[in-house]
Amino acid sequence: MAKIELNDVSLTFNIRQHRRVTLKEYLLKGLFLQARNPVIAVHALSHIDLSAQDGDRVGIIGHNGAGKSTLLKLLAGVYPPTSGQATIEGRICSLFDITLGFESEASGWDNIRFRSYLLGETPKSIKRKIHEIAEFSELGEFLDVPVRYYSTGMLVRLAFSISTAVEPEVLLIDEILSAGDLSFQLKARERMKSMMTSARLMALVTHETSTVELLCNKCIWLQHGAVMMQGRPEDVVAAYTQNAVANHPVAEVEPPSVADTVPMHDPARAAA
Amino acid sequence: MLQHLKAVWMFRYFWMSLVRMDLRTRYRRSVLGIFWSLLQPIAMSGIMCVVFSRLFEMTKEVPGYPAPWAAYAAFLLPGMAVWEFIRNSAGIGCNALIHNEAYIRQCPLPYGIYPLRTVMGTAIHFMLSMLVIVTLVCLLRQSFEPLTMLWAVLPMFVLLFLFCWAVATLTAFATVYFHDTTHLVEVGGQLFFFMTPIIYESEKLGNAAWLAEINPVVVYLNVIRDPLWKCELPPMEQYFAAFGLTAVAVGLACGTIGWLQKRVIFQL
Repeated sequence: MAKIELNDVSLTFNIRQHRRVTLKEYLLKGLFLQARNPVIAVHALSHIDLSAQDGDRVGIIGHNGAGKSTLLKLLAGVYPPTSGQATIEGRICSLFDITLGFESEASGWDNIRFRSYLLGETPKSIKRKIHEIAEFSELGEFLDVPVRYYSTGMLVRLAFSISTAVEPEVLLIDEILSAGDLSFQLKARERMKSMMTSARLMALVTHETSTVELLCNKCIWLQHGAVMMQGRPEDVVAAYTQNAVANHPVAEVEPPSVADTVPMHDPARAAA
Repeated sequence: MLQHLKAVWMFRYFWMSLVRMDLRTRYRRSVLGIFWSLLQPIAMSGIMCVVFSRLFEMTKEVPGYPAPWAAYAAFLLPGMAVWEFIRNSAGIGCNALIHNEAYIRQCPLPYGIYPLRTVMGTAIHFMLSMLVIVTLVCLLRQSFEPLTMLWAVLPMFVLLFLFCWAVATLTAFATVYFHDTTHLVEVGGQLFFFMTPIIYESEKLGNAAWLAEINPVVVYLNVIRDPLWKCELPPMEQYFAAFGLTAVAVGLACGTIGWLQKRVIFQL
């Protein structure tokens, strides 16, 4: 039984200008000088209410820096909420920044095993699935090569194949699908659709509004860390697009007239 | 606490495969491979033997050994191995959380796993060195007596492992907050080495004997080194001290994890 329940959840980061404080600076600050490393409070998420069950596919959209990835990380359990209640039940599999979690010196096969163990598999259960994963990724002989030589698209294929093969109860995807080529994108969509029919929970962050309308049954629009709108994908996407266009009006451009276009190969001319 | 341990056990394949990969990567390009880990402390001890046995006037005869230098070598080798284990666990453990940032950001696993990855690596080196060292001590003593003492020594390895894990955890968390902890540990390690009776016997400290009393490493040295070198058990208090010290260290480490686990992600 997978479930996501967020009740008035807020997340605040206290960031310092200078990342790492040395012991010397920490002591001096305490004794003499005022902090020359001021704290900036970033309210990444404010009062989010979200509820999803088995079979829900939640699409998360919003402008850059709205807090979409942060929300996913909170769902994954990486960040604890600063206030509010966050309940996530079910085996979670997260697909964030695709280079994270790959051991670059190890081969594709070894990485399949690492990632699977990370997601809670055992050597016995992996033996059955490993060829299926390799086949889905279509990487062939490249699986013998260390992962540091892979392109981003190859990494995406591999990560996606592993993550969907382990049959997670909650799947969290953060904008990575766009890195794959067209055939992979189609394949991935197919697989995600089939996963949905097996009543699993999925949360997807994407900038492609078409993906949201195609794959999701719920959509949430984040703006500056707060929920602007929640509901059916069509409605939310329409409101989001309207808002985006209203804020940045597209410049008026004269569409080219038919007379201006000169065909490359004019069959009439060639015949003449 | 129990939940934490259960979680660590649940992910055992994950961190075990990482340890295996660490070892493979470390010795991928070297010809001698894992034997380097054996060569280094033994070569170091050999040099120290020659130099220090004269400096510290290790000329007194020790029962069971054919020559004073043999006694000194048998005294020095286990001590060096134990010290190296603790020092490497603390030193490499400093970066445990920082190197594994990728995993921490994707999949929230129990934080104890990351120092465990480091300490398993150093523990394997330690076990291999001890294998060679016990053989050497038997050769130096020209008898199999040290082997009969192994029943007392092996459980102490477990305590030492837990202690090193605790130290690695503490340094790992400290480094996230104060990134110059690595340097402190390095320098501190050097100082500690000379303050600890590894290359000299604790009697030689004389007026500064209190140094040996407050030093936690001395406890482990006594329970591991004495049975092998002198072939007699150290006083019972040392064993109680070892248990107590391990319990305190592990308690501190678990307390730190419990206190900081929700906060450390914001510092990484």
